[in-house]
Amino acid sequence: MDMRHTETKRGSIMNRPITAIVVRAIVALGLLGAAGGCATSTPDCSLAATRNLDSAIDSAKSNLQAGCVAYFDGYMDQLLEVAAGDPQPENKRAFSDFLIWSSDQGLLSKRQAQETWNRFFNVKFVSLQGDYNNCAQTCPVRDDVLDNMERELADKERGMLKASLDQNGYYRADRLLQETELVLAATCRACAAGGR
Amino acid sequence: MASEFGSTRLFAIALLVVATPLLTGAARGPALQLFPTTVLEDIKETGQVAEDMETGLQEVISRLDRQQQLYVESKCDGAVEDPGCARIAKQLGASYMEMLDVMGQRLPDMERAVNSTRTSLEKRLRSELGLKMTPWALQETLLGNQPDGSEPAQPKLRGRSGLRLSERFRQYYSLVAQSGSKADHSLAVVASDIYLDMEEASVLIAQTQEEIGRATLLEELNQSFGVITPEMQQVVNGVKSILFGESGQVIELAGPPPGSGQIEYESPLEW
Repeated sequence: MDMRHTETKRGSIMNRPITAIVVRAIVALGLLGAAGGCATSTPDCSLAATRNLDSAIDSAKSNLQAGCVAYFDGYMDQLLEVAAGDPQPENKRAFSDFLIWSSDQGLLSKRQAQETWNRFFNVKFVSLQGDYNNCAQTCPVRDDVLDNMERELADKERGMLKASLDQNGYYRADRLLQETELVLAATCRACAAGGR
Repeated sequence: MASEFGSTRLFAIALLVVATPLLTGAARGPALQLFPTTVLEDIKETGQVAEDMETGLQEVISRLDRQQQLYVESKCDGAVEDPGCARIAKQLGASYMEMLDVMGQRLPDMERAVNSTRTSLEKRLRSELGLKMTPWALQETLLGNQPDGSEPAQPKLRGRSGLRLSERFRQYYSLVAQSGSKADHSLAVVASDIYLDMEEASVLIAQTQEEIGRATLLEELNQSFGVITPEMQQVVNGVKSILFGESGQVIELAGPPPGSGQIEYESPLEW
């Protein structure tokens, strides 16, 4: 312990007006009480140790209902792991139902649920969207867009290929990324030539 | 070299008549306008110019190769005093000059044709894919309305440096004609492919012209020696790779494994 530091702190307390110290003490006590109250009701947010996807989803649902909303992304990650242990096309439906349930419960907005679903299980890329034309919106950030699509393809590999055996879908997404890369290279060059 | 497609005017006209309405989307409503007749004509003309250039150069380049081989086999390297070697060296120099002459005559036509194709495609790409489409629309266009598990109409992507230039254009033409009858997503890829190729070709032509000027001057200065220098050999190799490539080296992308044929689950969350 740094004694010099303690001395300095003590000294500063002694120099403060008494009312301020009393107010701070009350606030500190209140916070302590609140913290003590939380400690007794904090849920165990870890998922049940199961290799069955339905059981894992049930466990995630009950945890989320118990207040572990902050763990949502981690649950998705773990559920994908579980699904990869027993991959089958039906897993897609299980994830879809889970995301719809999350949206119905107000844990995710409809948009978040859609984005999560499409990121992992759809051929189309969530990373490639926008309301403006490609020359204005995509070309200035083409490299970033392609990097994001690359990362999203890795998620699609987990969702489509490893968890639900959708080979056609995954390879189509892979090809879509390659085609997008080629088409954007040409289109963005043409856009730039138009601006010269 | 007088290929089956290039000089058959009737066939070309027939193909245009069949392909044009499909390519311009007359039968499918608001389709991509990437390959109007003018662009198709540009592609066809570039292929024809490339073919003419190949025809003119093939004989002289083969002769150069034979003379080079004879020079090496006769162990002429360094034997400048030998009259036989001096004769071969002089012939080599003359063939090289002939090659440069043919190229010098043909390249301006080639340059004009390539630039014309590039410019017309550039306008189309900018307008159709760059300004009229959002990123999402582009994605949907590329994806097309292809049911899962069906064989996609895949144009071959870039990486055909091993092909003869005229063959490359023949493939472009046929890709456009075939894709036109299927879907817009192929056309977008083909148009991008051709445009990027034209950009590269344009740069290469400019470099080659520069090189011809430099090499002609050097050769004129070195005419008394006649020996083909490494720089000259480099020019010959460059011309060979651009025009003739190495046939049979088409790089194909890995395709997906055969599908299970099952009907995929479609979530209500799907876009």
